[in-house]
Amino acid sequence: MTHQTLLIAFPKGRLGDELVPKLVGTPLALDANALKSRVLRIPTATPGVAALLLKGADLPRYVAAGVAQLGIVGSDTLDEMDMDLLELADLGFGACRLSLCAQTGVTLDHLRAKPHLRLATKFPKATEAWLTREGLTAELVPLSSSAELAPLLGLADAIVDLVQTGGTLKAHGLVETLVLGRSSARLVAARGAYLSEPKRLRPLAELLIAAFRATP
Amino acid sequence: MPVRTPHFPDLLFGSAARLRRWEGALMGLLEAHGYRELHPSLVLREALPEGTLRFFDGDDLVALRWDFTVALAGLLARGFPAPPARVSYAGAVFRRPVQPWEAVERFEVGCERIQPEGESSSEADLELARLLMAIPGVLGLKSAILHLGHAALVRRPLEAEGLFGDLADAVVVALSRRAPHRVREALDGHPAAQRLTAHAEALLAELDGPATLEALQSSPYAELLKADRDHMDRALKALLPILPPNLELRVDLADVAGLGFYTGPTLRLWAPGAQQELAAGGRYDRLFPDLGRPWQAAGFCVRLSRLLDLAETRPDLFEPLP
Repeated sequence: MTHQTLLIAFPKGRLGDELVPKLVGTPLALDANALKSRVLRIPTATPGVAALLLKGADLPRYVAAGVAQLGIVGSDTLDEMDMDLLELADLGFGACRLSLCAQTGVTLDHLRAKPHLRLATKFPKATEAWLTREGLTAELVPLSSSAELAPLLGLADAIVDLVQTGGTLKAHGLVETLVLGRSSARLVAARGAYLSEPKRLRPLAELLIAAFRATP
Repeated sequence: MPVRTPHFPDLLFGSAARLRRWEGALMGLLEAHGYRELHPSLVLREALPEGTLRFFDGDDLVALRWDFTVALAGLLARGFPAPPARVSYAGAVFRRPVQPWEAVERFEVGCERIQPEGESSSEADLELARLLMAIPGVLGLKSAILHLGHAALVRRPLEAEGLFGDLADAVVVALSRRAPHRVREALDGHPAAQRLTAHAEALLAELDGPATLEALQSSPYAELLKADRDHMDRALKALLPILPPNLELRVDLADVAGLGFYTGPTLRLWAPGAQQELAAGGRYDRLFPDLGRPWQAAGFCVRLSRLLDLAETRPDLFEPLP
């Protein structure tokens, strides 16, 4: 790979599952055989353009450092990490809510009244911002996965987490108490690459926007 | 979040030689245009901003020089009854990095063009742009891109709508990310949301040649910004005929980096494929009045540490060394 190869960082997981089918039939379709293998750098249908498959939380770092020139990542991750990169478009898919969730029967007033509120979350920055707006204090319990277990097992009184359909919450006896924000997939670009080579990156960015906005 | 692990790179033979050669060539260029060197102390005792490298000298908290422009402004405001018109500088500044790949110790060469308040600044702005245009050739960069912006294009509409503080900061951050949808989100419910979003879309519409200025004609603030647009237009007309063959000129209307500092035209030098700008500057007419001096100023700084990194990682962007 040379510096002439353009790298687009795609997220693994929930967003990745949604976006890979949307690229089928476009010039940026990912090589099906490579996708079945364990390689994380996947050729696309356009020579000189390859895709990196990365964990969402790592993806902004690759783009901000200019290793990948473009990327797609949830706005929740962007807001938490606050990396120096460009956010060229809201692609509209992968929409979900960042919500305060607690066990059925526990209301927002119950949580507000707790002298020592404990909130488990993967989103400490957004949670702290909400607590500041509300004039509340809480102990933040940082978790990296399966936050739904925390209220059930007594690790926390409630969680702040992403909710898409609410199915996982329901399965754990939790309900959304308050929506703190909304998230969707964003097209991001490396600041340096985009500002120094817009003629090289813009057509690719426009292709991605068209691919994701055209499909339901 | 600032990076807490300090990164102090040692320059080995090739980089050290290149640094010495570039410093000499750039200072020679500035001297040939009437700029005289000032060398402010490495240790500063003024109000110390966040991110500086601080330590105690006895009972006094001091810091290593973190910015030449600020250090020179303090020196000039304290010691000179009238400003020298042209000042140059070369050396290292020390700042805690925001991004993990940035070094704490950064080598810079730069210049300041200072005038009494009230004098026309157009010629001074052009002088700096012409100097910056000569720099890729001095450094042996095969090709470069000069971005021309104007801080007033963002600042004036925000001030006209009474937007200050956190909300104005949120709009500036959204523009810095080139994200019109974020501008819309930040202004949700504000009476000027529609106008300011339309203006943001006009600012972000293009990143290209001189025709980019025309995008502002669709802005609701086109009339408010007429004088600033005319200033940019005149600058473009003066600079385009003398553009060196290896330099591309782009108008970047949404350049908001350093918006709290710059008040007028801004200049940024890039190389194709570089991850960071290689030189940056502009007009900052509030700096000296804030220090009690009725002077206006503009200048730029060539970031030699970034150029050294670029020469290591992308030698193909430079002419071979003699």
